[in-house]
Amino acid sequence: MVTIDTAAGTTPKRRPRGPRPTRGYRVFQVVNAIILTGVVIVTLYPFVNIVARSLSDEAYIIAGKVNLVPRGFNLDTYRLVMSDSLFWTNYRNTVVYTVVATFISIVLTTCYAYVLSKKHLKGRNALIGIAVFTMFFTGGLIPNYVLITSLGMKNTIWAVVLPNAINVFNLLVMKAFFESLPVDLEEAAAVDGLNTYGILLRIVLPLSKAVIATMVLFYAVSFWNSWFTAFLYIDQQDLLPVTVYLRNLIAGATGAENVGAINAADEVQAEATLKAVTIVLTTLPILLVYPFIQRYFVSGVMLGAVKG
Amino acid sequence: MFDRSRRRAAVIAAGLLTVSLAACGSGDESTESDLSEHRVGAMAEYKVGDQFRATEPLTFSMLYNNHPNYPLKNDWLFWTELTKRTNVTIEPVAVPLSDYEQKRSLLIGAGDAPLIIPKTYPGQEDTFVSSGAILPVSDYLDLMPHFKDKIEKWNLHPEINQRRQADGKFYLLPGLHEKPWQDYSLAIRTDILEELNLEIPKTWDELYTVLKAMKAKYPDTYPFSDRFSQPNPGGNLLNILAASYGLEGAGWNFQHVSWDANAKKLFYTGASEQYRQMLTYLNKLVKEGLLDPESFTRTDDQARQKLANGKSFVISSNAQTLVNDYRPDLAKTNPKAKIVKIPLPIGPAGEINPASRLENGIMISKKARDSKYFVAMMQFIDWLWYSDAGQEFAKWGVEGTTFVRDANGKPTLAPDVDVVGLNPKGTKHLQKDFGFYNGVFAYGGKPELVQAFFSPEEQEFQKVMNARPPRPVMPPFPFTDEEREQISLWATPLRDFVYQATLQFILGQRDLSQWDAYVAELKGKNMDAYMDLVQKAYERYQKNNG
Repeated sequence: MVTIDTAAGTTPKRRPRGPRPTRGYRVFQVVNAIILTGVVIVTLYPFVNIVARSLSDEAYIIAGKVNLVPRGFNLDTYRLVMSDSLFWTNYRNTVVYTVVATFISIVLTTCYAYVLSKKHLKGRNALIGIAVFTMFFTGGLIPNYVLITSLGMKNTIWAVVLPNAINVFNLLVMKAFFESLPVDLEEAAAVDGLNTYGILLRIVLPLSKAVIATMVLFYAVSFWNSWFTAFLYIDQQDLLPVTVYLRNLIAGATGAENVGAINAADEVQAEATLKAVTIVLTTLPILLVYPFIQRYFVSGVMLGAVKG
Repeated sequence: MFDRSRRRAAVIAAGLLTVSLAACGSGDESTESDLSEHRVGAMAEYKVGDQFRATEPLTFSMLYNNHPNYPLKNDWLFWTELTKRTNVTIEPVAVPLSDYEQKRSLLIGAGDAPLIIPKTYPGQEDTFVSSGAILPVSDYLDLMPHFKDKIEKWNLHPEINQRRQADGKFYLLPGLHEKPWQDYSLAIRTDILEELNLEIPKTWDELYTVLKAMKAKYPDTYPFSDRFSQPNPGGNLLNILAASYGLEGAGWNFQHVSWDANAKKLFYTGASEQYRQMLTYLNKLVKEGLLDPESFTRTDDQARQKLANGKSFVISSNAQTLVNDYRPDLAKTNPKAKIVKIPLPIGPAGEINPASRLENGIMISKKARDSKYFVAMMQFIDWLWYSDAGQEFAKWGVEGTTFVRDANGKPTLAPDVDVVGLNPKGTKHLQKDFGFYNGVFAYGGKPELVQAFFSPEEQEFQKVMNARPPRPVMPPFPFTDEEREQISLWATPLRDFVYQATLQFILGQRDLSQWDAYVAELKGKNMDAYMDLVQKAYERYQKNNG
């Protein structure tokens, strides 16, 4: 849903000075611009279409008449979804879970990655091995459930924010980034009297804004979109995140559960527009975060990539 | 999304298997006989017609399927009134409807399931039986006089027997209907029929004539363009047609095994003569341009679109899609259009009502058996789900508050209470505000109760369908665990192959003269071995229980 392809849109802004660009180069630029505009349209179209659908009357959607502009403009479905107080409770949960979980994840991932980036650390390979092992093997659903339950975390925020706190892929990207920082810098800091924590907090972290911003984005998006963990470990509807709420709403509007029961007209409007409304409501806030992190983002991902 | 959840389901299933292996050793210690330790709170005398009331306040945990149209509220009149009448409080573990089955598997697998596990459809209990986590309820029917009474009165023994496992016991308390309730059929544009001076078709052959006439008048249309093709092509059409040809089911209700009630023989559905005839019929419709070949491949929305734009006149329907989809769609494009759901067309099998009389029902955790409140719980379940009083309470609510009775004792909604748009002016909602007519508690029963909130035209439809005899019930052939494992290995390739060939035959990509070759290919996919195993299980069951 959330595309990160926009990085492709950054064409070289400044032409090299000196000799005038050749004819071939100008042709290339025109073609380039056309193709990239095409890419932008292709990526943008589905989203604009979804927004238009969410604002349209269901009959026009069924008739296949909604493209870029809403037809039969109405806000009924928005009203239907947003009039439920449970929706707002769950939305707040999502925000809280995302913020807390992202914070915990960033702290833990940074600490682990920083330690792993130190080549002189004894047992470093074992520590990496432990992390990588979890990429390929898991305990399985039921043992995990039993674990979380017996730790008493069921029906608490911790069941949502702790189990997936460290993503190994992100961990390895961060480790690579830290390894790319010059060792001399840290040695100099040590000579000037900083201890390990001081080095991390005052020297390394300020230099790592790019990768941290990237990680914040990765984590925040994944926690924002996630529903399965909460679904597993939470039995009380007012503790669920909004993703589960909306997922259930769609199932209720489309599911076989309703067979034979004819619903009142206002509940029915939902089905076609409901999916669109859900997508808009869940993606919009996280999309708004993008522009602010974008500038770190491009350089951040690439930094880790080279060293891999 | 589907793939993902299916994979998760597989993971859970694998997990269950390990749990079941672990549980195998424990053996069967508690038998029905000794219940004296488990009668706390129970009524000493409890028989048909009695109001259950626990002798002391009790609380039972229950898995709760949370429907978004009426999200769970703790202050519903349903809960308070239930406690008032029965002295029992239900402690719901709320699970979103969207992923109810997955969570149910997880909780049972983890040994963390609530005592009462409702909303389980017949057949779904099979996977849990070997885990030993589910109570064989058939051992305790003496505690449930209303349940037994309904089985007896409505002669539901054949249906119930189908639920028996290899050990001769059943593990699910299904919802019980007095009359089968067939919802799906075809919807047809009656204004076109009038224009062509045609009657509503009663049989599949008449339908062919009607389609032919429609095509003659509107040559640039496909008169029949169908929906419900996901997840299986022709989901509904194949299923109702198969029933009309005397088969157990096809399409989205694909059944490997069908039953010939006259010859008392089980046979493989996809290789039968009836199946061939059914495909021949559909192939004829496609060949003559009467049935849209796209019917089998596209989404529902596209089919609705064609109907709305007058590009087709016949489509699969249930009561809900007729009112919620087709009529509003058509009203916007063509105010003169009229569309109705027609009684299921009759095929070679004659007049039958193919719907099952069993509904989703309740599983009970084995650990409930160890509770000293066990007998009280069974009596409570019996009253709420199976007594006339309990069923009326769950559906209609409280007399004077949510419903009133007329002189004949027939209930109607109270004037300020609305449900399914019956009382549009009502300010309170029977489901949302009171918690009645809840899918978890209210289902099954007598036709009057089941159809209480149906529209007059749907009641008319049900009257026609109820006049038709239920179809013969297939005898049970419960598998042992090893057999079930073996069967499921054969089942998937067989089913996929039948689906594939079905489509090829219908669309004319494969000629029906190649039928014998197709049957031979089925044999190559272990069809005979499959049927041998079914036959063996059938005979074993007959020998042990017949």
